[in-house]
Amino acid sequence: MSALLKSELRKLIYLRANWLLLLWSGLFAALGTVAPILVLNSDSGPGRGAFSGTETQEGINAVFANAAGGYLFALILGILIMTNEYRHGTAVGTFLVTPKRSTVLVAKLIAASLAGLVIQLFSFIFAITSGFIALTFFEPHAPVPAELLFKVFRASAISGLVLGIVGVGLGALVKNQIAAVTGAVIWTLIVEGLVVAFVESIGKYLPAGAITGLVDVDFGENDFNFSIENYLTPGPATLVLLGYAALFSLIAMRTTLRRDLD
Amino acid sequence: MSGVKIEFKDLSKRYKDVLAVSNFSAQVQSGRVTGFLGPNGAGKSTALRCLLGLVNPTGGSAEIYGGSYSQLQEPIHKVGAVLDSRGFHPGLTAKQNLKIMASASEIDFSRIDEVLELVDLAGAANKRTKGFSLGMKQRLSLAIAMLGDPEILILDEPANGLDPLGIVWLREFLQKLAGEGRTILVSSHQLAEMQNTVSDVLIINKGLLVAQGTIKEICKGRSLEEAFLELTLRKSA
Repeated sequence: MSALLKSELRKLIYLRANWLLLLWSGLFAALGTVAPILVLNSDSGPGRGAFSGTETQEGINAVFANAAGGYLFALILGILIMTNEYRHGTAVGTFLVTPKRSTVLVAKLIAASLAGLVIQLFSFIFAITSGFIALTFFEPHAPVPAELLFKVFRASAISGLVLGIVGVGLGALVKNQIAAVTGAVIWTLIVEGLVVAFVESIGKYLPAGAITGLVDVDFGENDFNFSIENYLTPGPATLVLLGYAALFSLIAMRTTLRRDLD
Repeated sequence: MSGVKIEFKDLSKRYKDVLAVSNFSAQVQSGRVTGFLGPNGAGKSTALRCLLGLVNPTGGSAEIYGGSYSQLQEPIHKVGAVLDSRGFHPGLTAKQNLKIMASASEIDFSRIDEVLELVDLAGAANKRTKGFSLGMKQRLSLAIAMLGDPEILILDEPANGLDPLGIVWLREFLQKLAGEGRTILVSSHQLAEMQNTVSDVLIINKGLLVAQGTIKEICKGRSLEEAFLELTLRKSA
């Protein structure tokens, strides 16, 4: 297993596309912290109207909670780890070296989990750093408490670990790489966002809703029409995410193990 | 039977309405080069994929060393296979692709240079494979197959897309491997080439075994092409 895991990690390191994905995850998460700072503090923005700007704690919370937003890229990398095998025909070689497909899959799940963690830690650091730099242009601002950063860090790490696994499962289910990645992006950025925003009773159980619960940061109900009370607490939210990981791992096992490789 | 390395036992594979392989039984003898011949769609590739555990048979079995491929310990050291000219990532160099395979099976990286030398690709070791010609891809596939220095080689249409120089190179390569006593099962449409390379022949048509024997027994004084056409056409009639 360790040899197979090393081989999987080697694939991740060698492919330049994966490094680009890592960079994109950082830029995406940084956009999530910098853009709200600019909007909240613009002359016509909510920070100058009825809503809080970054001089309030709610405003700071709203900005830095987004630093966990790179999880989409952990999901995409998980998908690529699996679908690359089919797209480039390397699955044949992989399964010839290791005919026990469950062993291959476990190695891929571990590699995807580690890669998802790296993506989320990188994007977290990139987003936090960018946020702090952007805030220097809008002094004075409310303090950024260590507890807030810890909560977002925890959410980043757990979501990275789990969504890499979910990506592998999704890739095993939908072998077509473009379809799987497009579906994941549309689901994460559009469908899930709408459900989480408008049907919280369901949305809190979706991955994005669970990650919001895991972040466990309130933006202020009056200002942003958002209350963390409507979401799961970090413990159950982690369990929901682990449930998704288990479900998609199982799907990956059941589909990949049984399919003919033509 | 001790000389039998590969055995198909009543192998069948059905894809929805198509019976790709039908009760196919045949043996491949140890230390021989066996040509696996048949028209397009005859079931050759399906049978080979069943043998390598990539496709699940509908019935019967395909065995290597008396068991299924998935039961082999460290299979890359026992069986090398070339199934198509893909099988490696185009964004990686030849050497990186080989390192991935080698690290998965704990093969020393010094072997990579050996196999690249063996297939005359040492000069392209650090080139990304997306720029490789079909002939170079075939050679890289052979290098991957040879990585574990296996006793058995299973090659599905290794001459596909090769130019005349590539075909000559492949012939000499296979003859060299055969001279080392390896067991080789090779499917091909290049009947003239096969006549010069193989010692035994298996002919399959419409999923059924048409003929099996030494090339002498099959040809009976004719060319392999003549024998092949007669056997497959007779069976089709």
